Amino acid sequence: MYKKLNNLSFVIGAFFTIVSLILFANILITGRNDALSLYSASAFLIFGVVMMFTS
Amino acid sequence: MNLQAPDYLIIIVYFLFVIGVGFLIKRKIKSSNDFLSSSRNIPLWITSLAFISANLGAQEVIGMVASGAKYGIMTVHFYWVGAIFAMVFLGVFMMPFYYGSKARSVPEYLSLRFDEKTRGLNAISFAVMTVFSSGISLYALAKMLEIILKWNFDVSIWVAAGIVMVYTFLGGLTSAVYNEVLQFFLIVLGLSPLVIVALHDAGGWENVKAQLPSYMTHAWKYMGDPDANPMGLHFMSLIFGLGFVMSFGYWCTDFLVVQRAMIAKNMGDAQRTPIIAAIPKMLMPLIVVLPGVVAIALMQPALQANGYRIPVEADGQLNYTMTLPSLIAHYYPSGLLGVGITALMASFMSGMAGNVTAFNAVVTYDVYQAYFVKRRSDKHYLVFGKFVTVAGILISIATAYIAKGFNNINDFLQLVFGFVNGPLFATFLLGMFWKRTTGHGAFWGLVFGTLGAAITHGLTIAEGKGGWIAPLFPIKSGMGQAFIVAAVSWIVNFVLTIVISLATKPKPDKDLVGLVYSLTEKPKYTSAKWYQRIVPLAILLLAITIILNIIFF
Repeated sequence: MYKKLNNLSFVIGAFFTIVSLILFANILITGRNDALSLYSASAFLIFGVVMMFTS
Repeated sequence: MNLQAPDYLIIIVYFLFVIGVGFLIKRKIKSSNDFLSSSRNIPLWITSLAFISANLGAQEVIGMVASGAKYGIMTVHFYWVGAIFAMVFLGVFMMPFYYGSKARSVPEYLSLRFDEKTRGLNAISFAVMTVFSSGISLYALAKMLEIILKWNFDVSIWVAAGIVMVYTFLGGLTSAVYNEVLQFFLIVLGLSPLVIVALHDAGGWENVKAQLPSYMTHAWKYMGDPDANPMGLHFMSLIFGLGFVMSFGYWCTDFLVVQRAMIAKNMGDAQRTPIIAAIPKMLMPLIVVLPGVVAIALMQPALQANGYRIPVEADGQLNYTMTLPSLIAHYYPSGLLGVGITALMASFMSGMAGNVTAFNAVVTYDVYQAYFVKRRSDKHYLVFGKFVTVAGILISIATAYIAKGFNNINDFLQLVFGFVNGPLFATFLLGMFWKRTTGHGAFWGLVFGTLGAAITHGLTIAEGKGGWIAPLFPIKSGMGQAFIVAAVSWIVNFVLTIVISLATKPKPDKDLVGLVYSLTEKPKYTSAKWYQRIVPLAILLLAITIILNIIFF
């Protein structure tokens, strides 16, 4: 895990994955029909996961 | 604008990540070279993104959106005229000298090519400029947070500066560079949804064009008459002032950006760094110019129902600097608002960390080690480099408190760059490509070039600025004034350097090998695939840039 943390793409991927999870959680908790947040969170999640897997 | 819990959570996560990167890199810092120049061990994709991200500070993000709203699509000239050509020139022609000479900084190259006095002059002027830029970034960040979030100005300054200090102090240049890459993605991905939703709200690009005066949506069409375009510039002033003098002066000689290419693993990667960086740079107007143009369109009568307004100042003028923050406040809901605010903070921190890491390298290598304490242990210079990092941050904070009174940050920074960088490119151009150039010629050319910049600024007046000698020549915009100041300083430096060089004794050829074009073996990459070779990549980029200029003519 420590080795992974030394890989910048993994760190960037982890950051965007966490941000996307916060956005998803916010949508779920508030129950708001917010397409902009939903699409943005999805894009961040895809980007984050791809960055982590390619690290 | 009120932040909710998820917004604060995203900001806290960002702070934890940038500081965490500092702690991770700290373990790898064993020497002054690790701390100040990353021991030339950074992969190409990181150096390329850091190269562009170091420039992605306050002037880029906030300033370019402001300029997009103020000047329209003409602002793309800062990219498609004022960046790509110079970045390609740096990669193809200049990196072999910077990297091949084994210099650790741009001033050190000047010492190898010319002499110590030229190095000292450049090092000191650069150090002053970097902390000033860093202070401007910090001031702008704190001001923005004060206006849009009602955060305390002083607390914002000290918290933002404190975080940058922690990660640059722990991990030095590598930590700053790694965070710059994270900040690059955050800025691009964090602001992309804003561009899409604002453009959608404005009815698409065709409707934006229909709503705005034609001069706001054409890059070149109205450049033949200075009175017909909002920048008040003739295209020749733009091409020479921005496209040649300021652009090449900044991208090819400013250690802040060149440093990111100098830490690449090998010569090929060092040359490719600015060329690869030119690809996202070319597309950056989509993120930082387009929102400004769309913001002005959204204020037109036909689109007023959307409710968006650029804030106004006390005198009733539009406060262009607030264009981007006000767009974020208008369009981003809770959660995404945190992403937008964090992206803005990232842009300021990225600019500040870039300035501080360039400042500490120049002060340590080119001032302290060169003139004061020459032969001490490596640990001594590592400790001093860390001390300068803290000092640089503290000076930036002091600068931030005096950097008030300008309604467009970008105009002001361009003016500062014009004073310092304008004449500098003439020195490098002659130094690298004319072996007859001497140290005396370079030094006095720089001195009088900078003096020429100051006098020109003192004799011209634009938007109430300048004219401190006598306001003899009024100019329509501050940006136009900056181009003219830079152009005059370049010409003064170029002519004087040639004249003085011809009257003084040059260095022997054997001392100039690896430093001057005609005496240096050119790197060859015949075995690499075409997309890895420098010249084909450069030609492709230039062709695309010309096509973009034609499309938005």
